[in-house]
Amino acid sequence: MINPTAHTTDITTMHDNVSIYLERISDFARLLRTRGLAVGLSETADAALLLSETDFTDRERVKNTLRALFAKSQAEQEIFDRSFDLYFVTAEQKKAIEEAERAAREEYEKQKAAAKKDLTYNGQPMDLDESMRETYMRMPEEVRERLRQIKDRFKDDIERSPELYASFIKSVFMKSIMEQQLAMEDAAAQAEAFDDPELEMLFRDISDFHESDIPKATALIGRLGKMLNGEIQAKNAGSGHKGKLDFKRTIRKGLETGGSLYRLAYKRRHKRRKKLVLLCDVSGSMIQFSAFALEFIQSLSTISEASRTFIFSEELAEIDRAALVNTETFRKQVKATGLFGRGTNLASALSQLLALKPPVLNGSTMLIILSDTKTVNVKETEQLLAGAKRLSGNIIWLNPIPERKWDYVRSIGRISGICQMIPCSTLSDLSRAVLRIAM
Amino acid sequence: MISENELRAGLDRAAYVYDDILISTVLVALKLGRPILIEGAAGVGKTEVAKVLAEVLERPLIRLQCYEGLDESKALYEWNYQKQLLAIQVSMNRKEDTDDDLTRSLFSDEYLLERPLLASIRSEEPAVLLIDEIDKADEEFEAFLLELLSEMQITIPEIGTVKSKTTPLVILTSNRARPLSEALRRRCAYLYLAYPSVEKELAILTRKMPNIDAQLALSVAEAVHTLRANDAILKKPSIAETLDWAAALEALGITELDRDALEQTKGFVLKNNEDLDEIHTLLPEGDCGEDCDCGGHGEAGHDQSHCAHHGHHHHA
Repeated sequence: MINPTAHTTDITTMHDNVSIYLERISDFARLLRTRGLAVGLSETADAALLLSETDFTDRERVKNTLRALFAKSQAEQEIFDRSFDLYFVTAEQKKAIEEAERAAREEYEKQKAAAKKDLTYNGQPMDLDESMRETYMRMPEEVRERLRQIKDRFKDDIERSPELYASFIKSVFMKSIMEQQLAMEDAAAQAEAFDDPELEMLFRDISDFHESDIPKATALIGRLGKMLNGEIQAKNAGSGHKGKLDFKRTIRKGLETGGSLYRLAYKRRHKRRKKLVLLCDVSGSMIQFSAFALEFIQSLSTISEASRTFIFSEELAEIDRAALVNTETFRKQVKATGLFGRGTNLASALSQLLALKPPVLNGSTMLIILSDTKTVNVKETEQLLAGAKRLSGNIIWLNPIPERKWDYVRSIGRISGICQMIPCSTLSDLSRAVLRIAM
Repeated sequence: MISENELRAGLDRAAYVYDDILISTVLVALKLGRPILIEGAAGVGKTEVAKVLAEVLERPLIRLQCYEGLDESKALYEWNYQKQLLAIQVSMNRKEDTDDDLTRSLFSDEYLLERPLLASIRSEEPAVLLIDEIDKADEEFEAFLLELLSEMQITIPEIGTVKSKTTPLVILTSNRARPLSEALRRRCAYLYLAYPSVEKELAILTRKMPNIDAQLALSVAEAVHTLRANDAILKKPSIAETLDWAAALEALGITELDRDALEQTKGFVLKNNEDLDEIHTLLPEGDCGEDCDCGGHGEAGHDQSHCAHHGHHHHA
């Protein structure tokens, strides 16, 4: 991993900076690659050519030129701009960075010494790995103070059962440290915020949307849906020439050329798409996600036909297609069923679904479950899911819990063995998942 | 190759409002012989870039409009079958030519219908090739285009390989109706066009319509900016619609964007029935946009049922 601040390049005057850009260009290209930009050797060579042959008068011009070459989408432009500004800095910026780095190093050493003291119990260092020690150092002072107080409170009991108390204190510390690690991961995800509000919304956790964001998110879904429709239609159109010969069209076309059958026309081979059965969790924590996910799925004209939608919390209910027109009508109908905000019992919902006559699931259906897996009766749920899988062949689970947190939710590990689980915490994830379903 | 100053001067002459990013991208594309991929919402002026560059570079503009199902015969070349059949019949009657001569003549330039891609490759002088709305074409066509753009030559089985005589400046535009392949993106210099800021839109208005009233131009630019920011509006006004609207206002002798002016000319800027209902958001608070004495939506205690009685609606 390249640390951009460790490689900041001082740009003082334009006279000598072109040579600096040239020297650093391949390293900068490598940094962009680590950030997900597909910068190949040809781009780097072209950039070097431009830098050596163009008379640049200011830093901004260099930035614009390299951006046109290296960034190939709006999102990549954002990443490029941030990387460039961090990598090629002016003399003043470099001085400020060095000063800040020196202060940070001093602070780090101080915190390290304090943490070493805190993470010692009964004269022995606690058995914690380096990353946990690092996390402890970054914890808020009030949390560390609380942990110190707990340690002090049991100081006198240590002699009674040294092993028991050492293990207890360690578990208390570990719990707090792991919570802090999760919080830091969330903060890191949010720090990836984009300058463009639309892009930011695309990558924000759906559960973090406020009421005021909903119209914007809905409009974004509409646009994404259009884009996905275009992609799916283009894919389908591509498979056009593989069907049987279309005699009618061939003869009609032949008439244009005096009856000679120059160009043959083929029937399009229609891929038989599976009918979707959607099972949406509408317990309190899930309604926002389900509403967006359903709106997304409905926005795809290619897959919305012939799908059936069920909602569940403790019971199961089928939702009218008309209610899926927008988020508002969906919410109203969910509230009318009385299922909103209750606990989650997927086992009960699945058993009701499987008992429906005529059977909902069969070989030409695909079951899609939108839920966070936080259900009661996990064992029974597993058995019923296995039964549903036997009937429909494939179950796709769209999970709004970010993938990085899956290790901490036990039920996810158990259920993901039965279903194909796809992370869908953001609209971007959701669009990718829905595309996979549609294809 | 055109210098930066010449490019700027040319764009100024063409009354085109540009920024440094556009200049850098065009220079990169010209220097490296790469296509320019322009993305952005509909109506931000992507096609206009190609038109104005053709004018500035004094090159012919060759345009290929993409659509679903576009294939090589519509984009590259096609044999003129009808003309070939007639030639065969004429030749059969004359019985002078041998079969070989006939075949050779049937597949010559005379019977070749040149489509935009071939026209740009065979052009004696370098052209600007605009491949408009590439996102609407199929993936197969995109792959074919990729091959063509990298080799700048094509093989016509009956004629042989046609190498480009000059390198056209290729401009691809996309409304992002579907994502383009990584391979095509990599080959291009990329330019993203967003809707212009109020200042830039004002500059466009005054550049394209030098005689427009300064206050009216500012009002129009601000109004369009407000409309674009309104999430309830489905079809955002394009720059061309801004110009049309300003021209309509000017033609009607209107200098102030008041309720009547908006009512008369709203069809120039909003093109959707539902969107037209949103025009009232441009009115100052206290003016609900309808002929009633309701006091306006800006006033506390505004009785919306009263307005409904008059046959209009208020929006949140």
